Amino acid sequence: MGSKVNDEHVSTVRSIVGTDYTDMDIIRSLHLANNDVTAAINILFDTPSFNRKDAPQMLSNPRVPSQNSQVDNRKPVLKRDDRSTDGPHVGSFDRERASVDCREGRDSTENDWWFVGCSEVAGLSTCKGRRVKAGDTLVFTFPLKKSSSSPSPGKFGRGRNLAACSEIVRFSTKEHGEIGRIPNEWARCLLPLVRDKKVKIEGSVKFAPDKLGIMDTVLLSMSVFINISMFHKQHHTSLKATISSADETVVHPLPNLFRLLGLIPFKKAEYTPSDLHTRKRPLDMKASSGLPAPLSSVNKNNNLSRSTDEVENDVVLSDSDVDKIVGVGASPELEEMEPPCTLQCELRPYQKQALHWMVQLEKGHCMDEAATTLHPCWEAYNLADKRSLVIYLNAFTGDATTEFPSTLEMARGGILADSMGLGKTIMTLALLLTHSGRGGLPGSESTYKLASESTNVSNALEQSTCQSKEMTKFLGNNQSVVRKNLLVNGGSLIVCPLTLIGQWKAEIETHAQPGSLSIYIHYGQSRSKDAIILTQNDVVITTYGILASEFSSENAEENGGLFSVRWFRVVLDEAHTIKSVKGQISLAAAALVAERRWCLTGTPIQNSLEDIYSLLRFLRMEPWGSWAWWNRLIQKPFEEGDQRGLKLVQSILKPIMLRRTKFSTDREGRPILILPPADVQVIYCELTEAERDFYEALFKKSKVKFDKFVEQGRVLHNYASILELLLRLRQCCDHPFLVMSRGDTQDFADLDKLAKRFLKGNKDALDKEGKQIVSKAYIEGVVEELRKGEQGECPICLEAFEDAVLTPCAHRLCRECLLACWRNSNSGMCPVCRKNITRQDLITVPAESRFQIDIEKNWVESSKVTVLLHELENLQSLGLKSIVFSQWTAFLDLLQIPLSRNKIPFARLDGSLSQQQRENVIRRFSEDSDVLVLLMSLKAGGVGINLTAASNAFVMDPWWNPAVEEQAVMRIHRIGQTMSVKIKRFIVKGTVEERMEAVQARKHKLISGALTDQEVRTARIEELKMLFT
Amino acid sequence: MANSNLPRRIIKETQRLLSEPAPGISASPSEDNMRYFNVMILGPTQSPYEGGVFKLELFLPEEYPMAAPKVRFLTKIYHPNIDKLGRICLDILKDKWSPALQIRTVLLSIQALLSAPNPDDPLSENIAKHWKTNEAEAVETAKEWTRLYASGA
Repeated sequence: MGSKVNDEHVSTVRSIVGTDYTDMDIIRSLHLANNDVTAAINILFDTPSFNRKDAPQMLSNPRVPSQNSQVDNRKPVLKRDDRSTDGPHVGSFDRERASVDCREGRDSTENDWWFVGCSEVAGLSTCKGRRVKAGDTLVFTFPLKKSSSSPSPGKFGRGRNLAACSEIVRFSTKEHGEIGRIPNEWARCLLPLVRDKKVKIEGSVKFAPDKLGIMDTVLLSMSVFINISMFHKQHHTSLKATISSADETVVHPLPNLFRLLGLIPFKKAEYTPSDLHTRKRPLDMKASSGLPAPLSSVNKNNNLSRSTDEVENDVVLSDSDVDKIVGVGASPELEEMEPPCTLQCELRPYQKQALHWMVQLEKGHCMDEAATTLHPCWEAYNLADKRSLVIYLNAFTGDATTEFPSTLEMARGGILADSMGLGKTIMTLALLLTHSGRGGLPGSESTYKLASESTNVSNALEQSTCQSKEMTKFLGNNQSVVRKNLLVNGGSLIVCPLTLIGQWKAEIETHAQPGSLSIYIHYGQSRSKDAIILTQNDVVITTYGILASEFSSENAEENGGLFSVRWFRVVLDEAHTIKSVKGQISLAAAALVAERRWCLTGTPIQNSLEDIYSLLRFLRMEPWGSWAWWNRLIQKPFEEGDQRGLKLVQSILKPIMLRRTKFSTDREGRPILILPPADVQVIYCELTEAERDFYEALFKKSKVKFDKFVEQGRVLHNYASILELLLRLRQCCDHPFLVMSRGDTQDFADLDKLAKRFLKGNKDALDKEGKQIVSKAYIEGVVEELRKGEQGECPICLEAFEDAVLTPCAHRLCRECLLACWRNSNSGMCPVCRKNITRQDLITVPAESRFQIDIEKNWVESSKVTVLLHELENLQSLGLKSIVFSQWTAFLDLLQIPLSRNKIPFARLDGSLSQQQRENVIRRFSEDSDVLVLLMSLKAGGVGINLTAASNAFVMDPWWNPAVEEQAVMRIHRIGQTMSVKIKRFIVKGTVEERMEAVQARKHKLISGALTDQEVRTARIEELKMLFT
Repeated sequence: MANSNLPRRIIKETQRLLSEPAPGISASPSEDNMRYFNVMILGPTQSPYEGGVFKLELFLPEEYPMAAPKVRFLTKIYHPNIDKLGRICLDILKDKWSPALQIRTVLLSIQALLSAPNPDDPLSENIAKHWKTNEAEAVETAKEWTRLYASGA
């Protein structure tokens, strides 16, 4: 069955059957006919289930007397039976006999009941002395819902309870009344289907003893008919909805019924529920495979402290973990494709492969393949009914359909997931230059016409295939067709993080032949509100922020923004940005109307498997875009440690994702990309005596607090506070000043700023409410108090403040106390003055503010800074550029002092810069040979930025997860780097930093080894204890 | 009993009430239940209650200080905001409670209520009516009751 349908066949069939059939139908028929063109044409003409375009779902032929129809339709049936030699099949003899037996029943069949099959069933007699004879027509009685009582429930044994009685299906004849009951397993799967009027049964007696006795076996012939309403789209969905809410372990009646009827799928599903039932426990799995652990369990843990310290707990997977999950595509076999001459740079071989792959996916070539590949969860059955050849049944949900469920139902596009530094941007640019156009034709009608007109022109065939496929896509969703018709056709839309706008623009400008692509940056307050502007350009670049904000604004479709355009192509750069399933960004991306969709990301999975779901939803990779479906087939099994979930993901991703890493090799086994070597070195620093004293004092203080938590057994409840303690210690390793000035609240560390903000805030309050809430003098008093470092007490716990916050009304309370008296976690009244305030209004009071010192005047180098300066001076003499990473912008502040003093010119990049400023900084650093050092915050450097001008990187402080460091360092070790790269990580000996290294190693285990929830919990506590030794 | 697990805040408040009592107010915890206070408030000067000594009971519920203390007059008193069972109509004891308030502030508020009866927000309809229609007479009744029920003893 695996033979592929090729275009030649399609066009031959098309030339005979004309335009009444969709390509999908033709492909299906070819598929059924095993690529025999004549057979396929017969199938098409003889089978009403192949829909004409005017009747997409339903049986359209007029009512035909059943006897005739039986004769008329012999041909296809025979054909099918001919084929039955090459696959598992219900014997044709059985079939024939069955159809004879059931003829009587068939006469009453209306057009919308399809005969599924007939089976011999051993019924049990419940009566005594009655006589029935073979051929007697039977009437089946189904109990009504729930407890409806049926006669004589007690006869079969006292143990049986009422619930079981309500499942008994009885049969009777007109003359004799009740005869007996059908077996339980039949009753169980028939009941729900008959109740919902999806199935009906007819039957007759086949053999019965002359005189019936109780418990005698009565052989029945039962014919099962399925109502075509089962295949209605609406039904389809509603069914799915109910299922998703229902118990996941329910066995679906329809597949079960098919099994009982002895129907054997001529094409089996790759995955069936029984696979799930035979799954192994996660423990076995751990022993048997090196597959990554349930990320979900890591996730759950994250939630503990998500709100407080999101970044620190974000488990970012390293490249190799991602590979384990999604698999690295075996790409060497891919063909290469020369980019158009408008691309003014050389592509590497693997980039040409990517171009070929992308072009093919867009063309829908692979779609033909996918269109003939049965979806792994569906089975194909031949029905005994003469009118329809095949129905498809989902083994998991019990859904049935007559439409061929293929793996790639809606998708056009894919995920380019090459790891960082392989040049995804340039590959995409090559694609943009190869094919750029405007969104699909305005109405599906004309699309269709165009498609059919061009069918005779063989060289246009490929294109028409795509287009008519588009059409089927539109038809599938009538509502959206109407909506989509209002949209204007646009070119390609690139959505990227703010930091990358400039880079995209620059890449296009430098690498595309001038005039080949027009660019429009859709960003900023002054951005155009006119859809025409958006459609006039070949490429529109925007940010996720804009996307989300236009999405949430009213009438997104009419107001001329991104959503009023039907895009030719949408490219999401750093597509993992949309990973959060319920996030506005993710919803917005999924709502874009586009023909071709691409995700570019080096990390298709960042935190959890769920991340993939968002991508598939955006890509319209049906049915994985429905959460119920995804959750049931992938997420749940995966979380339960069942490898099959993962396997399924891999099989979904395989055709639509291309992923190479720096270590991928080409056909000849050579690495696809040869980068200069990177040398990672750890520099261990020693604290000076003064620093050590300070560190030890801080450590002791922190340990006392931590031990208290341990003692109370409330470590995990106080996770945030503990991380805070650790934060101080870690900062202390960088420079003790950081602890003194509380770098993280730097905005308000400066009390003058605090005072200013207060006075300003107070004025606002005055304007709004017309009365003064707090006097200026009072605020000044409070600020003065803070400045002096006066302790005071919290009005709620009556103790000295702990983690004090200031309300906008200038009342000081412990954060805990304040939050505890709010009924909801985000807002409430100020307990002192009853003014309504929100959590965001709270200002963290700079603690230990009496240590506030003038750092400029009292500047002292910490040991780390000393070592760094030494390194930088060496590099300065060589004229080499370097990047200095720290997690804390406050530390970057501090570093500016010695750099200026030592006359080392530097630039700085952190999250506070605007897009324009960022671009300027990057340009200055890349182009100005005087600027040797770039101070960069680890977070700001997160994505996409290309900083290959530098060949040295200094990671000043260790991060919890090495993958984040890795990511930052990749900014310099990537394509375009010509020099050998040196990366130096700083660790202070005998401090929390050293122990963090050990935790990093553990963390790696946590991700890559399977740990249960409890194990993770204890691991966390252990981890924390480790840090406080 | 329940005293072993007394929150630090209650202990602190109790210590302060004992060591630096508010003028005209005394509050001391019961020996067997530290959450139960015996309270005495002197009738404020220039009020109908001047010269009276009013006994109250005050109980700190489990949720205190997130919930208001429960306070009740034990001594009979003629006051529009206090009913014959001694229950007090005072917003801070109900919806206007704030954990930043304390036993001391609550008792001071009650003392203030004695100085300034508020017949517009009555708990005892009859007394409030009396107060509004004939204040002089009502004040006399209050003085009379103070003499009868709140003098020394």
